[in-house]
Amino acid sequence: MARTPGHRPLMLMLAAIFAVSTAHGVDYVETPSLVDQVAAGELPPVAERLPLDPAVVTFDRPDMFPGEHGGELRILMGKSKDIRMMMVYGYARLVGYNQALELEPDLLRDIEVEDSRIFTLHLREGHKWSDGHPFTSEDFRYYWEDIANDSELSPFGPPKLLLVKGDPPTVEILDEVTVRYTWARPNPNFLPALAGARPLFIYRPAHYLKQFHGKYTPVESIQAIIDRTGTRNWAGLHHRMDHPYKSDNPDLPVLQPWKDITPPPADRFLFERNPFYHRVDINGLQLPYIDRVVVNIADNKLVPAKAGAGDTDLQGRYLRFDNYTFLKASEERNDYQVRLWRTARGSQIALYPNLNVTDPVWRELVRDVRFRRALSLAIDRVEINEVVYYGLAHEAANMVLPESPLFREEYRDAWAQFDLAEANRLLDEIGLTERNKRGLRLLPDGRPMELVIETAGESTEETDVLELIHDSWVKIGVKPFAKPSQREVFRNRIFSGDAVMSIWSGLDNGIPTPEMVPVEFAPTSQVHLQWPQWGQNYETGGEAGEPPDLPEAQRLMSLYVAWEQAESAEQREAIWHEMLSIFADQVYTIGVVSGVRQPVVVSNDLHNVPVEGIYSWDPGAYFGIYHPDTFWLDPERR
Amino acid sequence: MFRYIVHRLLLMIPTLLAISIIVFVIIQLPPGDYLESEIAELQSQGESVDEEKIAFLRQHYGLDKPMHEQYVHWLFGMVQGDFGYSFEYNLPVNDVVGDRLFLTVIVSMVTILFTWAVAFPIGIYSATHQYSWGDYGLTFLGFIGVATPNFLLALVMLYLANVWFGTSIGGLMDPEYIDQPWSWAKFMSVLEHMWIPVVVIGTSGTAGMIRRLRANLLDELQKQYVTTGRAKGLPPGKLLRKYPLRMALNFFISDIGSLLPSVISGAEVVAVVMSLPTTGPMLLSALQSQDMYLAGSFLMFLATLTVVGVLVSDIALAILDPRIRFEGGSTR
Repeated sequence: MARTPGHRPLMLMLAAIFAVSTAHGVDYVETPSLVDQVAAGELPPVAERLPLDPAVVTFDRPDMFPGEHGGELRILMGKSKDIRMMMVYGYARLVGYNQALELEPDLLRDIEVEDSRIFTLHLREGHKWSDGHPFTSEDFRYYWEDIANDSELSPFGPPKLLLVKGDPPTVEILDEVTVRYTWARPNPNFLPALAGARPLFIYRPAHYLKQFHGKYTPVESIQAIIDRTGTRNWAGLHHRMDHPYKSDNPDLPVLQPWKDITPPPADRFLFERNPFYHRVDINGLQLPYIDRVVVNIADNKLVPAKAGAGDTDLQGRYLRFDNYTFLKASEERNDYQVRLWRTARGSQIALYPNLNVTDPVWRELVRDVRFRRALSLAIDRVEINEVVYYGLAHEAANMVLPESPLFREEYRDAWAQFDLAEANRLLDEIGLTERNKRGLRLLPDGRPMELVIETAGESTEETDVLELIHDSWVKIGVKPFAKPSQREVFRNRIFSGDAVMSIWSGLDNGIPTPEMVPVEFAPTSQVHLQWPQWGQNYETGGEAGEPPDLPEAQRLMSLYVAWEQAESAEQREAIWHEMLSIFADQVYTIGVVSGVRQPVVVSNDLHNVPVEGIYSWDPGAYFGIYHPDTFWLDPERR
Repeated sequence: MFRYIVHRLLLMIPTLLAISIIVFVIIQLPPGDYLESEIAELQSQGESVDEEKIAFLRQHYGLDKPMHEQYVHWLFGMVQGDFGYSFEYNLPVNDVVGDRLFLTVIVSMVTILFTWAVAFPIGIYSATHQYSWGDYGLTFLGFIGVATPNFLLALVMLYLANVWFGTSIGGLMDPEYIDQPWSWAKFMSVLEHMWIPVVVIGTSGTAGMIRRLRANLLDELQKQYVTTGRAKGLPPGKLLRKYPLRMALNFFISDIGSLLPSVISGAEVVAVVMSLPTTGPMLLSALQSQDMYLAGSFLMFLATLTVVGVLVSDIALAILDPRIRFEGGSTR
């Protein structure tokens, strides 16, 4: 976590000790693949390329060892758009999560936080962009003044993540390497946003982008480029060139370990080492170890087959649990290992009763917690686990996972045991005692209880699970029907309230820490399929949607606000637990199983990839928190 | 003849206009637009979306304008050679399609040649040896070719080629040659990969062609001029080549109309399954993600080729076959 001012002298002292030992103990080692360029004078030597105080990687995991430079890593992606994953895997962030999911400075040398509202960022002196130009506070100023607050580039103002209750921060440029962001109210979202898998970029390579900015360059001189790229004006051109996340502009300088050198469109993208990367290992080798990453584009359905044929060195994307046996079968022939990492989803698949459904009869019922509990109790999770997941998953509600410090068994087990008698009793208690001659309960208006569950129609896994749920639900007099549609239609039907219930994957982040924003446990977003209208209401500041009208949801909302305002870690943790217990007890979402494994194919030539890992988008950035810049290849592959 | 061609050329204009309207409307029919599909895709992977940027893009791409305005903008751009902007690739459509066309044409040409090379001898043999064991056997093989789903055959062959010959799965060449200049090694790598799509796409085309050639030829073989020729002592081979075979080839010329667009689009399904760097998968993904200018312009391109192809085949037929020429002349 970010250091408070009290710890700073200690850190400075440690930094000072390290600087001495570098100067006298360990010399920086020139990268073999760059020796020629250095000798030819095209690149400065390694000591000048690194910041004055580079980040030093400690090899603290027992299966991690310092390596050597060289080689080419091959990975597969399904579309050329997917090369943004290199930005995710690279995971060089201003502040980033370490493997214990604590935040620590990475691109930044240090960060000071006062009252969760004043953030002072200290850059590394001598830090450079991948083209050798210094990375300074000017890059932060440029973003804030000339992009976020430029009426043509950002007609809708700065990104919402930078606003607290609609108020922007005061951004002060203190000197060349110090920037301060001050909000009137606490902004605990700030650091997690900077550390995200898709981070909030509050800096840009000003020296490069100014040539496309109307304020710095007369439009006439770039008109030719505007026409050639098919954009409409300089703002469009600037936007076209400024894709820090998509990494699809080979000319855009980056701070990541590798940078794209292939202009799209292509079916094979080469990422070359960033010679100015800011991290070194304990032997003075500048990271990354691996010289080049090759991203081959293949249709995503072909990725498992290609992985099985040994066409990739590191692959998790587009592999699914049901590919495991196939991948395992050719492990030896193609010299790789399939590792099973844990996924971080709160539940592999979850049912979302739509609390904002428009049908008045269903609405009444879905909002009754007894109904939701009954449905949850009537799912035979053990059977589903055995049949669909070979018994390797855990039967659980859609909740935080055991890997999270917030985990409690009572959350996991809340209303998640198989108890038909209790489920029937709850439904009787609601007054749904009438049944038709097929044994289906009748709704208060006399319709049989046929519950249409919408699916996006993309995975057979969902329909398999629904089939099993169907078998036990008919025993409590409820008959579910799966209605597959297409993804956008699916979402729009839920948002508009046409859908009574939907099936989708569970919580995105099942491994939160108390310092992470409890965004998925309160109605804060329209994409929460259980309360889209409430979420939209919050997102639009009350302009659209409707405000939460159930007391428990209102409580969650006010707890969420209280979390944002909280000043101490204890308070935040207490608020988290109250939210979790309400969320679990109210069964807003019905989880099935969690902890389903993700197959990860790792070539036997590749080292430092953990045997047991967490495969998670945020926090985690998939391979990102394990820092692929520290992975290295066997000598014969160099 | 000249008046006929001018007439046909003028007729192409309203035809293409009608096609452009239909294409545009159908692409726009599914709910939402490109940005919404992109948001949905990102969010389904758990990724967040920068709403301000989306709003900016919607304005910038003109997606907030009414449909007819977008259509007119697209149409006028196309007339001037500007096919619009691909949202997915963030590039003008011309740049996206350009690279892929070359490989598509190669694959399609080779496939067509393969089809002809296989179908012709078999078709002629089946017709001249009607109801023989050879006819039955080859027809059976042909039907298997039609009946096996292409994608299944493609997957099986990919897997076997990988296990037996070590060919890398998918694509048209080993990954290290992609985007490299042409060399002998790259050429060999392409050959090594190309036979699978060629055989897979070819098998279905071959069967159809065998059947048509056989039927047409059988019709001709029954005719009296054949009997006359035979009675006058023409050697059977020469007789066959000189008269009935040429008569039976009319269908072949009229096929040119549909051949032209298929050379450009390739066989989509097989190309998707095998991840070929051709235009087929690109068109499919453009349609899926509602990348409307890329999809629309590409479909228009195919439509234009079809219209032109039909014209070319009509003219060629008229030149080749006097019967068509004279009859056509009298009605028009």
